[in-house]
Amino acid sequence: MSTANLALNPELPPDRLLDGDHDYRSITDTVCQIVERPQPPKAWYVAFAVSSVLTVILFGLVGYLFVTGVGVWGNNAPVFWGWPIVNFVFWVGIGHAGTLISAILFLFRQHWRTSINRFAEAMTIFAVVCAGLFPGIHVGRVWLVYWLAPYPSQHLAMWPNFRSPLLWDVFAVSTYATVSLLFWYMGMIPDLATLRDRATTRVRQVAYGIAALGWTGSARQWSRYEKAYMLLAALATPLVLSVHTIVSFDFAVSQIPGWHTTIFPPYFVAGAIFSGFAMVITLVVPARAFFGLKDLVTIRHLENMTKIMLATGSMVGFAYAIEFFIAWYGGNPYEQFAFINRALGPYAWAYWTMVTCNVISPQLFWFKKFRTTPWLMVVVSIFINIGMWFERFVITVTSLSRDFLPSSWGYFKPTAVDVLMLIGSFGLFFTLFLLFCRYLPMVAMAEVKAVMPKPDTTAKVGNTASAEGGPQA
Amino acid sequence: MTTTTGKNYWRSLDELQDTPEFREFLHREFPEAASEFPEGLSRRRWMQLMGASLALGGLAGCRWEQEKIAPFAVRPENRVPGEAEFFATSIEIAGMPRHLLVTCYDGRPIKIEGNPDHPASQGVSDALSQATILDLYDPDRSAAARQIDGRQSFSRSWQEFEEFAAEHFAALAKQAGQGLRLLIEPTSSIAVQTMLRKFQQRYPQATIHTYAPLSRQQQTDGAALAWRQPWRVRYNLDGAKIIASFDEDLLGLHPHALAHARGFATGREPGDGMSRVYAAESQFSLTGAAADHRLPIKSQDIGLLLAHVDALVRADLGAAEANADLPALPAGEQDFAQALALDLVANQGQAVVALGPSQPVAVHALAHALNQALGNIGQTVLLTQDPTQIAGAASLEQLVNAMQNGSVDTLLILGGNPAYDVPGDLDFRGGLAQVATTIQLGLYENETAQLCQWHLPQAHPYEAWGDVRGWDGTVSAAQPLIAPLLNGKSPLEVLALLCDDQRDAQQIVREALATYLGNRSDAWPALLHEGFISSTTFPLEQPASVAANQRQQWVQEIVQQPRADSELVFTPSDSVLDGRFANNGWLQETPDFLTKLTWDNAAILSPQTADQLGIQHGTIVQLKTNGARLELPAFILPGQAAGSIGVALGYGRTAAGNVGGDSDIASVGVDVNPLRSASSPHFTSDFSITPTASTYQFATTQDHHAIDTVGQEETERRAGDLVRGATLEEYQAHPDFAQHMTHHPPLESLWEEPSYEGHAWGMSIDLNKCIGCNACMVACQSENNVPIVGKEQVAKGREMHWIRVDRYFQGDVENPDIATQPVACHHCENAPCEQVCPVAATVHSDEGLNDMVYNRCIGTRYCANNCPYKVRRFNFLNYNAELEQASNELVQLAVNPEVTVRSRGVMEKCTYCVQRIQGGKIDAKNDRRAIGDGEIKTACQQACPTQAIQFGDLNDAESRVAASHADPRAYAMLSELNVKPRTKYLARVRNPHPLLAAPATETHHGSPHVHS
Repeated sequence: MSTANLALNPELPPDRLLDGDHDYRSITDTVCQIVERPQPPKAWYVAFAVSSVLTVILFGLVGYLFVTGVGVWGNNAPVFWGWPIVNFVFWVGIGHAGTLISAILFLFRQHWRTSINRFAEAMTIFAVVCAGLFPGIHVGRVWLVYWLAPYPSQHLAMWPNFRSPLLWDVFAVSTYATVSLLFWYMGMIPDLATLRDRATTRVRQVAYGIAALGWTGSARQWSRYEKAYMLLAALATPLVLSVHTIVSFDFAVSQIPGWHTTIFPPYFVAGAIFSGFAMVITLVVPARAFFGLKDLVTIRHLENMTKIMLATGSMVGFAYAIEFFIAWYGGNPYEQFAFINRALGPYAWAYWTMVTCNVISPQLFWFKKFRTTPWLMVVVSIFINIGMWFERFVITVTSLSRDFLPSSWGYFKPTAVDVLMLIGSFGLFFTLFLLFCRYLPMVAMAEVKAVMPKPDTTAKVGNTASAEGGPQA
Repeated sequence: MTTTTGKNYWRSLDELQDTPEFREFLHREFPEAASEFPEGLSRRRWMQLMGASLALGGLAGCRWEQEKIAPFAVRPENRVPGEAEFFATSIEIAGMPRHLLVTCYDGRPIKIEGNPDHPASQGVSDALSQATILDLYDPDRSAAARQIDGRQSFSRSWQEFEEFAAEHFAALAKQAGQGLRLLIEPTSSIAVQTMLRKFQQRYPQATIHTYAPLSRQQQTDGAALAWRQPWRVRYNLDGAKIIASFDEDLLGLHPHALAHARGFATGREPGDGMSRVYAAESQFSLTGAAADHRLPIKSQDIGLLLAHVDALVRADLGAAEANADLPALPAGEQDFAQALALDLVANQGQAVVALGPSQPVAVHALAHALNQALGNIGQTVLLTQDPTQIAGAASLEQLVNAMQNGSVDTLLILGGNPAYDVPGDLDFRGGLAQVATTIQLGLYENETAQLCQWHLPQAHPYEAWGDVRGWDGTVSAAQPLIAPLLNGKSPLEVLALLCDDQRDAQQIVREALATYLGNRSDAWPALLHEGFISSTTFPLEQPASVAANQRQQWVQEIVQQPRADSELVFTPSDSVLDGRFANNGWLQETPDFLTKLTWDNAAILSPQTADQLGIQHGTIVQLKTNGARLELPAFILPGQAAGSIGVALGYGRTAAGNVGGDSDIASVGVDVNPLRSASSPHFTSDFSITPTASTYQFATTQDHHAIDTVGQEETERRAGDLVRGATLEEYQAHPDFAQHMTHHPPLESLWEEPSYEGHAWGMSIDLNKCIGCNACMVACQSENNVPIVGKEQVAKGREMHWIRVDRYFQGDVENPDIATQPVACHHCENAPCEQVCPVAATVHSDEGLNDMVYNRCIGTRYCANNCPYKVRRFNFLNYNAELEQASNELVQLAVNPEVTVRSRGVMEKCTYCVQRIQGGKIDAKNDRRAIGDGEIKTACQQACPTQAIQFGDLNDAESRVAASHADPRAYAMLSELNVKPRTKYLARVRNPHPLLAAPATETHHGSPHVHS
């Protein structure tokens, strides 16, 4: 089954996933020393200070929003949904790479995933945290947001409206968040046990001990673990597709020209994977440099990710083209105008920013140099992230700003609160991510060991081999 | 001087009951309709509330407010707590009589309607009178007399003023009023005029001056020039086949506009008898927008155009009179004049030539003569006396001269705001400084009050007794609906005080109207009940014919008038009029019917003129006349006459209040009065305009931002589908043209559609009748407690109006066709909003109403996104925060108790006035009968001057709304979305003259196909 690696990168030997001369012990040391060293690098402190300040700003603004009302944003009539929803869809999209890497690549036996899956899963969780924040605070009467939940209330004596895509969204995102968290946490248990076993202080011992849930690494536990991991992966796989499909229903099920299109589900999923991988690259390239993980997260890993971005980016570009084609072919004048307006109307700047970032920039990955030079990848990935944010902006705002009646057309202008909340959400994301880097194993040690060539070069599948690659270093 | 009985009258009931006058009053004057007299315990309650709020100003926190709880042991007749009562009254807004029916809850007036029985109103009203209710409860109104003595300002009571006045005016009376001047707004009130005569008797040497910034004096003077009598002109549009309006807004700010609107609507039924409307004007008026042919022409050229029409008509009539050589007209104007002349001659006695009040006297005389030559006088153009003329009254200019000469010792100003609204070259303020004693009575401590030694709080018309003569002369009563909330007195009461008249205001009015009331004992209560005395219209005057040489002389005068390339035209504001409504948030936020501009005035110019001057939309321009220079933003408006720059009066108030601008609150808009001169107060060519480098962001409710080409083209493409129209000829060939304008596949629903067995409420809006006057908007705002959001929020696109009037331009940018379309919630049967709400806060009733459940709504705003008509309004912030402030206790009283006040974070929208529907259902159920058609009226429908809106039960085949829905002109907007709206529009039909190019219209097209 490791021929799949060949397909992705035929130049490297199929069993060679790591650089350097590593054995089990060195892997463990490399990963654990990040967590165990008494002081993190200075850069960590700087980054943490900046991102935590931004997080404080975010929550300060949320407080201001609660006191004042959603009028603090630039939302208006007809653009009733503005940046908060754009941010929500953006962050949910970012959250896609993690589960895709963990679940789908796992099921397809893509062993190269092991070096980056922990990382990507953590990113997923944090992105979903950021995403979950926005729809929650977005409602007008935030103190009643729990009415979205279908609970048997005697006070209201009614259920929510199950016909509303927003309600589906509540289920989809909360399910996704729960399963992702479980998957991430469960996958981390053997590594947490390693940290527990290596702990030199009582605090660490207790903390990691609790988190490790009594893992001993017995064969029975490994057997259960492998099965549970497989099941969760199977459970998470449809979610990768379903979450963004249902998020896209928020738009597709409504009747606004520019929203009401059947292409949205696949297009949203492709876009989400695209943006998710771009974010992984953006994070992993500096992280592997700072924390000395270049041997574990190799150029080959990065290159594989750029190839996925090239593929999904091209799908996204194709979807943009198809949208225009269908608008013309469908003969609906409102739809036609919605797309002409995107490209030539007052938001043309946003549309062409999106096209430049999302369609043109991933094509650079046809060039080997872009696929193998980390800093170039980061630059392109940042452009892709910008482009994907603008994609959601274009969909949400331009469609709403000009719908059926020209008398009601409007133009959306963000306020300082809009801008600071977007920046603040990045602050929250990076704060959580930096805490993760400092306190949790960034690379799935157990899984990496399982795919190392030396102990078992005849390994058929990663998970059977991993039984031997336990945490005992 | 002793206190007046008027003051006594409003004190506590106990006190009053002990007085013999009061007992007599009760028994003799209110034998049958005592309930109409709005007195009782709840009035005391309001007095106490007011007292409390005043006391809170200084004494807040000292101790609990003392409150007497007065039980309804003896309930006033017909008073059921929580049930509405209705009182007929009349008011005069800047000389415009309005006859009203006021809804009161527990002694508190909350809603204005037109008096359905009054011939001039017939139940309809306009935006301005709707909004007066907010003025009544304006906390910025002055609450106490104020005297400036030396440099210090003292708060005074009426008692103190009366003591001062007793001494001061006794001395003046002794010297026969030498040095005393009275400045008053012209009024048709018989009681005030009677009192003024008494005033003249008491102070024979005193002079009465009248001034109103918006007067129709030039029209009256024109009549005087033509027939030597200062007659008033009244139009009867009911019978008019041809309506020619020259710079005149017959349907808008004309005193008789409501009757005109109804007459206009009658004539617009599509068919053979349909009227044709011509309008030549520099500024867009409601009449111009509704016209079949509109000619944008500078105000200064109107006279020449009229002279040409006159000449053509006389030639057609075969008159032997020689016509003066007239300078030729441009081709477009010539065609217009020719077509109009042909129509006028063909419809003699059935045409109206109406000329605006801003036109010079000679042009008016010519228009009068033209109407006479056409035989319209006595048919469609009626001449009557003008009741506002006061014998011996002098003008404002004379007053200013006298003040500057130092010949005025005491000036008494009753109402009005001359320090703000006089033309810039009249130094009223300077003159005021020369006067030893100045006394001003006003609703607000306005610009004029600030310069006067004494300021007295005026009672709002809803707090005082009075009378108003309708435009046709009908004697109408004005009765207090609530005790003076802020201790004010009416001009009539102040005049009575100064004439040492001890009677109370009611008695004064009653005695003044004695000749009309006759001897019947129930005449007075009947008047208060009906609101007017029938058969008291003015007798019609029969003019002698105008001599030909006289006419020639006027034409000469017109021809010799200087003509310039550009002109500056001063127009009354649709919203704040002459500035008197500057502190009225409803009106400030009501968009101008055409520019959709709120909270501002602007220099309006045509695209062509803007190009010539190098001005962009929003550029701040500098306007300069001899005396003054000021800057205001330019607004480019298609259809504005080339070279004509329009600026609205009434803005830039510096002492209006917290809404309109005060010493520490920025003014709304710019005061353009300084640019006016007394010699040409309406338009002038003696000015210059230069663009500056700065730009300005307007707060408009439509086209929130300057529109790009892509949007513009699409708007034009869609407008014809949204507002459907055809010419009369096309209509007669295909009456159902509107239903054939959309093509779409058969519409199928995803779900089983409910059937509506009981009531099925629906609405129809006749676009042929809609004139875009905004009456529906303000009526809805008043009925449904729609909040005011302010300029910044409007600029962001967050206005809250439940009904809006969409406006589209079609055709030539210099002379476009205007379409107006009121849009409120369509109550779709397949409502897209309902499906997407996650908490089911908007649901369908079994009568087809799209109900909004405020307390279920959490504000996801998904419904508003999915609404194709964009009629949903969201409380982005707490727009009712003002109501919660202690200082604004008074404003709370304007709130309709039948309608929830919405909190922030909640979606809201038109409910088809569900509270009225429920009220109607309850009434019918109590009486065990079916609900009659027309019994339930929505607020917009009730106000609509042209009765373009119909509402009722679609399941009742006999109902008017069912008939409208079945009309061949009926179409549903965006029907192709299969939302099945319950509101349908009736397509517009225009009646162009065959000689003039027909306005661009969408025509019937296509072969048989599926249609809505």
